[in-house]
Amino acid sequence: MIPVLIVVSVLIFAMVRITPSDPVASMTKGKNVSEETRQELRVRYHLDKNPAEQYLIWITGTLHGDLGESYQYKQSVGSLISQRIGITLSLVILSGILSVLVAIPVGVISAVKMNSALDKFLSVLTLVFVASPVFLTAIIMMFVFALKMGLFPSFGTGNGLWDSLYHMVLPSVALAMNMVALTSRITRTSMIEQLNSDYIRTATAKGIPRMRVIVTYALKNALIPIITVTSIQIGSMLVGAVLVESVFAMGGLGDLLISGIKAADYPVVQGVTLLLVFIFLCINLVVDIFYAILDPRIRLK
Amino acid sequence: MFSVLIGHGPLCRSKKKRYGKLLTPAVTISLAILVLIVLACTLAPVVAPCDPNAQDLASRLAMPSSAHWLGCDQNGRDLFSRVLYGGRTALTGALGVVAFSMVVGIPLGLISGYYGGLADNLIMRVCDVVLSFPSLLLAFIFVAGLGRGTFNAILALGIVYVPMLTRLTRSLTMVEKNKIYVVACDSLGYSDLRIMYRHILPNCISTILVQITLDIGYAILDLAALSFLGLGVQPPQADWGAMLDEGRTFLLQNPFLSLVPGAVIVLMVVSLNIFSDGLHQYLDQVQTALPSFRTYERKYLKKKEARSDGEPA
Repeated sequence: MIPVLIVVSVLIFAMVRITPSDPVASMTKGKNVSEETRQELRVRYHLDKNPAEQYLIWITGTLHGDLGESYQYKQSVGSLISQRIGITLSLVILSGILSVLVAIPVGVISAVKMNSALDKFLSVLTLVFVASPVFLTAIIMMFVFALKMGLFPSFGTGNGLWDSLYHMVLPSVALAMNMVALTSRITRTSMIEQLNSDYIRTATAKGIPRMRVIVTYALKNALIPIITVTSIQIGSMLVGAVLVESVFAMGGLGDLLISGIKAADYPVVQGVTLLLVFIFLCINLVVDIFYAILDPRIRLK
Repeated sequence: MFSVLIGHGPLCRSKKKRYGKLLTPAVTISLAILVLIVLACTLAPVVAPCDPNAQDLASRLAMPSSAHWLGCDQNGRDLFSRVLYGGRTALTGALGVVAFSMVVGIPLGLISGYYGGLADNLIMRVCDVVLSFPSLLLAFIFVAGLGRGTFNAILALGIVYVPMLTRLTRSLTMVEKNKIYVVACDSLGYSDLRIMYRHILPNCISTILVQITLDIGYAILDLAALSFLGLGVQPPQADWGAMLDEGRTFLLQNPFLSLVPGAVIVLMVVSLNIFSDGLHQYLDQVQTALPSFRTYERKYLKKKEARSDGEPA
């Protein structure tokens, strides 16, 4: 994980600077400023040094918890991120929990009732949700539940715990839809495979209740592919959160990242992307540990 | 993934019908929708009733009517025409993304799988790094570096799509290269290039083809996401993603502005997914040829039992 992070940080740093654009222009917002001020800005943000030195300054700073200073906000990137990370993380965590809670029962039911009308109905539904981009789901939910019915607020994050949760309902449901669809499909496939296997027949023959056979025997063994998909999905949820935040104007990390990209605000783009990749890699690590807990065969390898 | 809907049972064990049926009802319908959308978009200059950028300020935010089939946007531009022209941008963009990933990804996968060793190691490590980014995030960084715009968004997504295709081609090549025909080609003295492209690749292409049809759908979604965030196609050019973004400000006045391009995206991607699934089941003989044990038991063993029961002892 550490070598990957180092390579990733170099890649991020290099990619952001791939075209020789002048960040000073975006700092001064097109105003006419003297050459001296420009030079001063360059020195202040270490833009006068060569790229290798700039990278070293950035990476040593990052290791000490200092991600540099934003060009457009004139604040440290660290404080900008800490103001916003709560919104993004709670959005991702809420919709992650929500989608797992919905997807696994849905998948199990369609596997148990394979090829029934209910299974086909759920298949059509998931097919549509897989194909529906997150921002479209978000817009439709906002239109129906916030603007037409007025049940939920249509933007912002709210104050206090309950109000914040209330504001989070629509965004997290919208973000969860996509993942529910994919995860329930995988659950279905994986469960069908398990239900067709010999040990299930043995368990049924022994007279163990159907419910127990399904939940404690089949589902436990079907979990590995489900977890794999979930971990990949959480990665794309980090990006999906960017889109949902933009629809509901929540001012999370996503807004920061996108405005950073548009304004060529290098430190912000670098800081936020490195953080998101770090979170993603941590999730993968946790998932690997989960595998080992669930399946002793993996532990031996 | 959605095999229930395709309607392929386990079938065709006879040698006469090696493949299943491609055109099941679901696949036929999805194919018809795909052809219709693609034709309408490519023939947009002929089909579209208006110029996509012509402004008719009198009918700003107009609801659907006989003059404007789907109504007009905030600048009085005809929505139906814009959806058609937007489709051209979205579809050529998606094809561009997939074409780029094919041109780069397939050769890399072939080399990596065929030669193994150092080249394989190097290519796979690069893929690992690219895949350590959550999907769209890498595209964001590329756009940040290259600048916003249609072409850059396509290029960025193309790069992001390469490693998946490389890995797939690699794993297929690694299976194929140990087969007898490759050894035979090798002993005939064919060059590596010829073996890879004329012999191994045609044997892998069916699986790659399925992946590519799926990728086109994903590319449509991802490009729309980039345009939606203002990183891809720039207004006033018509594009499904960008139109969704422009329209959402006017959700209460005219919801069609966002919902119509959104609906077209969903329709397109659903059809692509079904088609790809059908294609997969059609081409993947192993999966269609071998029924699961339960169905096998039900269909064949029971029949045999019935027959043996009927025979006089």
